[in-house]
Amino acid sequence: MTELNSRTPPLPWWAAGILLGLVQVLAIALVKPMGVSKQFVVADGRVLDRVAPEYSENHPLLSDEQYKKFGYGWWFNVGIVLGACLTALHLRTWKVRTVSLWWKRNHDAPVLLRLIAGFCGGFLLLLGARLAHGCITGQFISGWTQLSLSAIPFTITLFGFGMLVAYLVYPKAPNRFRREE
Amino acid sequence: MSTPVVGLIMGVIFGASLVLTGLTNPDKIIGALRLKDFYAIRTVAVFLLVGMLGTLILDLFGVANFSIKPAVILTVLIGGALLGTGLGLTGFGPATGLASAASGRLDALVTVIGMIFGAHVYILIYPSVVVPLERILNFGSLTLPQITGASAALWVVPIFAAGSLTLFITRSREQQYDEQRMRAGDLEMNEVFPFPLSPKPTLREKGIYLKSDCLNAAYVFRQWKNLLFVVMLLCLLLLQGSFWLVSTGQVDIAENSNTAAPAEESPSRWLFGFDVTFERLTSIVRIANIILVLTSVLYALIMYFGLGISFKGGLGGLAHICGALYMALIIFVLLLPWQNFFGPITMGATYTPGELARWCTTDISDTLGMVLFYLRFTGYWALVMLLLLLAQLRSFRWARAIVR
Repeated sequence: MTELNSRTPPLPWWAAGILLGLVQVLAIALVKPMGVSKQFVVADGRVLDRVAPEYSENHPLLSDEQYKKFGYGWWFNVGIVLGACLTALHLRTWKVRTVSLWWKRNHDAPVLLRLIAGFCGGFLLLLGARLAHGCITGQFISGWTQLSLSAIPFTITLFGFGMLVAYLVYPKAPNRFRREE
Repeated sequence: MSTPVVGLIMGVIFGASLVLTGLTNPDKIIGALRLKDFYAIRTVAVFLLVGMLGTLILDLFGVANFSIKPAVILTVLIGGALLGTGLGLTGFGPATGLASAASGRLDALVTVIGMIFGAHVYILIYPSVVVPLERILNFGSLTLPQITGASAALWVVPIFAAGSLTLFITRSREQQYDEQRMRAGDLEMNEVFPFPLSPKPTLREKGIYLKSDCLNAAYVFRQWKNLLFVVMLLCLLLLQGSFWLVSTGQVDIAENSNTAAPAEESPSRWLFGFDVTFERLTSIVRIANIILVLTSVLYALIMYFGLGISFKGGLGGLAHICGALYMALIIFVLLLPWQNFFGPITMGATYTPGELARWCTTDISDTLGMVLFYLRFTGYWALVMLLLLLAQLRSFRWARAIVR
């Protein structure tokens, strides 16, 4: 399977959107809107519970009931990892990769730099997600599907900063149809 | 319903659809943020619209479980900015980062590790920084309809219009982009529009195109075949499961609903949280029968088309697909409810609920009767199951032979 096939999305945009939308509707019908980022805090809280019990006992956030156990949300995240892995294996797109095409085009070689950027990006992602009470799934998608007020400022800064940073970090566009060597 | 099992299943579905939609690919996200590749934008726009409409409909039926995040404008703004920075830097969101790491991207894995550190810092700064910040501009859990007093449906209309406008705008650009590329001769053979580049293909090129076309079609057929196989398998398992439930006395057969006293509730069993009564089982069996017969027709047809394709395109694997086709046809013949047409002479593998009730209520004491009973309901079923598995195996060999 060429790199080209693995880069072409398996579904057309409308089918992809409808599929994701139906998953969200199913989640709302069964339990609650989807959300991912909170469980990172829960996992961290569980570890802190082991390492420093009195700290987490007095912590205003971790002493809260919903941060105390691995429930639905935690297994939701485990399921994401499992489902993604299985699907990628099934589609035969599972492949160890480190750099994306845009990164290659703009910063050609260094893999290490990409990993460092990934780490910093992940750090900012989760810090921001928790400050905003939800990540892209939890705040942007679920927020708009429920028409909540908090989705409006979130969308503005998310895409404002996202586009700005993407413009600064990836100024050059790769040739979309050229094969990755 | 917020059990770990439901969470796991929902997560698997969501992770699978994230990979299927290609949003796990950071190139798509960066391309969207740089306004060069509209796939992700269009997908997310449809995602939002479908989700919103579905939620509205669920709300009408009163089954939607809302969880409105508090509108703390200041922290939401800051958080959105940080999240946007991370998104623009890496091309992953928290969910897509997880899914992407699971599909083999090392940079996504590092991003997930970074996210764990982010969570830790959030915990550390929560008492001193976040709590005071959240007091500023906190409006509580509000929705747009609550603020404006307009109904949710009124809000959906302009958002839907905006989403459609987005789709419309990005559509025209996407086409322009492809046309530019085509004129520049930049598309390769495997691409979306290979034909306008060479209006008069030579014979050899025609052969190549035909073969690749046939291969693509074979891919599609293989996918559908596997889907149908799974559906048939599920239906067969359902049928057999309901037979065992009834025959072992787990579910009581309602004798005659007309004579039974209406006030008396028929005793029911709770299985995995579902209330199983014979009436429900009846409808399940009926639906499973319909689906089974229809899918077996489609299954055989797909085998037939697969045969045609591998013959036309010269792809090979004809022996395997022929065997699979015959097995699929035999499955179809066996599944038909012959007992409805020919009475006691012959019977099909599918059974009607009434038949099941009749067989189970008559007292069978002798050995021959027992053997016949289990042969009819389990042996016949096992035969069909075996044939189905063999057919799937043969067609799997076919797929492996042509994809090779």
